[in-house]
Amino acid sequence: MQPERIEQLLHYYKDMLRIRYFEEKILNYMLPNKLFRGSSHLCIGQEAVAVGAIHAMEAEDYLYTTHRSHGHTLARGMDMEAAFAEIMGRTTGVCHGRGGSMHLADASLRILGANPVVGSNIPMAAGSALALKMQGKPGIVVAFFGEGALNTGACHEAFNMAALWDLPVVFICEDNQYAISVPEATAMADEDLHERAAAYGMEGLRLDGMNVLEVYEYCRASFGKTRRTGRPALLVFDTYRFVGHHTADSEQYRPKDEAIEVLREKDPVHFVEREFLEDCLVDPEKAVDIRLEIKEEVEAAFQRALNGPWPDPEKLTEGLWAESEVTCDE
Amino acid sequence: MSDQGREVVFAQAIRTALREEMKRDESVILWGQDIGVYGGVYGATTGLQREFGKERVRDAPISEMAIAGLAVGSAILGMRPVVEIMYADFLMHASDAIANQAAKWRYMSGGQFKVPAVFRSPGGGGSGYAAQHSQNIEAWFCHIPGLKVVCPCMPRDARALLKTAIRDDNPVVFLEHKSHYTHRGPMPKEEETLPLGKADVKRQGSDVTLVSWSRTLLWALEAAERLQDEEGVSVEVIDPLTLRPLDLDCILESLGKTGRLVIAHESHAFCGVGGEIIAQIAENHLDLLKAPPKRVCAVPCPLPYSEPLEKAALPDADNIAAAIRKVVG
Repeated sequence: MQPERIEQLLHYYKDMLRIRYFEEKILNYMLPNKLFRGSSHLCIGQEAVAVGAIHAMEAEDYLYTTHRSHGHTLARGMDMEAAFAEIMGRTTGVCHGRGGSMHLADASLRILGANPVVGSNIPMAAGSALALKMQGKPGIVVAFFGEGALNTGACHEAFNMAALWDLPVVFICEDNQYAISVPEATAMADEDLHERAAAYGMEGLRLDGMNVLEVYEYCRASFGKTRRTGRPALLVFDTYRFVGHHTADSEQYRPKDEAIEVLREKDPVHFVEREFLEDCLVDPEKAVDIRLEIKEEVEAAFQRALNGPWPDPEKLTEGLWAESEVTCDE
Repeated sequence: MSDQGREVVFAQAIRTALREEMKRDESVILWGQDIGVYGGVYGATTGLQREFGKERVRDAPISEMAIAGLAVGSAILGMRPVVEIMYADFLMHASDAIANQAAKWRYMSGGQFKVPAVFRSPGGGGSGYAAQHSQNIEAWFCHIPGLKVVCPCMPRDARALLKTAIRDDNPVVFLEHKSHYTHRGPMPKEEETLPLGKADVKRQGSDVTLVSWSRTLLWALEAAERLQDEEGVSVEVIDPLTLRPLDLDCILESLGKTGRLVIAHESHAFCGVGGEIIAQIAENHLDLLKAPPKRVCAVPCPLPYSEPLEKAALPDADNIAAAIRKVVG
């Protein structure tokens, strides 16, 4: 492997570890200590899609994600303290505590937002792509969603309009096998999900989502094509979430050892480690150092976030209206 | 009101506002079903595609969710889409994009984004379109913080308000009345705008305050004239124009004179905007009321097709006059 390739892999490895440790902190510490409200949707097991795809984007591109957004937002560069603080509802959160885990957004990184209404970000992504096209601006829009979203009407309406109007948007379906508890076979009339793109004259590919370098290459090629042609595309990545749908999921819908088996075999983080070790690309001790370094980085961000002040209830309605606050009817 | 201008129909007032704003600002774009060559089912966009081209005036597929969803996404990146949903009843298809996304995107992000989108849609009965093409659902959207809701009646107001709605940085639901597109009224030649959230006193009076909007305002004005001529009752008629934000001050000022209140709207009374106005007055200004207020609204029933049934279901000048007599008597 060429040195720059090794550097690239190391970079992605660090990003994946950051996401993994960030979410393990949520699962193993914040959950038992009741440090967040509602629920938090973890992407443990799906990090390769997030990191590979996000790194294939350019700075000029825009991003929509879903309720399962920590991977996408952190890979795009969201400040970990601001992300932790948002999940804990602090005013130092990236959305000042108005959104929480399901609504992470960061305009400065062109993260247009996480949308936990399944399928609803797909028309919005097409609309943002229309804006770029009308304004003659460079860049594409990338929209992530799970396979469950492929069954929504909004998805099909937007696929049609994106293809009909030649909109520069790439739809990335993270097929993690379960829509909450429902396996694909129970919800999909035809499990060749990528073929749905053909109905709209759009390119549709089904790809392995567990090898971060491959994800990057696939996305790089696809995004480049959309950039050149202005045409939309659908990429379906096969992946797996090793944890529940959210932090309150009892997971009785899948065999107890299924997740462990897939984890052992396909964990995208271990996959990179195996590549390192087997090909002697990185000194095993260095790999340990990297893990410790990232773990400390995550812990430090968490501790800083924990010190973030709570939002002022007096400012509850701040940010509702653009321009002047409207008070005459409230 | 120095220059009343020439008489135009309501559809032309809408078209004028769209045309003026499209000329003024390149980011104003339109899409909706049949709005291109066909000019919209009520002619509100006639000629605009010819003038501005197929990029800025787009015929959309029958996909209300995506029509509205694309509007939200394009507005977030700085466009000012004005999308037409063919019938207000179909806003229910589009309501996720409007109520869940457009209304909340700015707040949920901690104020990072603006969503300057306008959702135009004709509602209302009176034309024999029956239960699924005639509803008035302004209250549904008024219920959602983050949306502005405009319900104009007079062509001049409609043009001036639509222009402001397009320039507003917040999402606006702009509800027109389907049986009203051929209603004529004066409209000045020169451009004018009206602020959102400001009511207009359509008729001065001293005995009763009558609040009404959309097409029902015509019946309200008719009832007011009749009561003045036949019974000597002086009715002040207020058109809120914008239902959210609501100009309660204008109503309160009138109540200070009259002490009596009737609200007439074509939408249902139950959980309606009339009830909201009365609640706000009862909570904080009960002392202004000399008599219990009354609402005149559609009968709580899906709107029937047959003409005598439809007539019986909707408010008219007779119902409104009867309510005023009760409040005065």
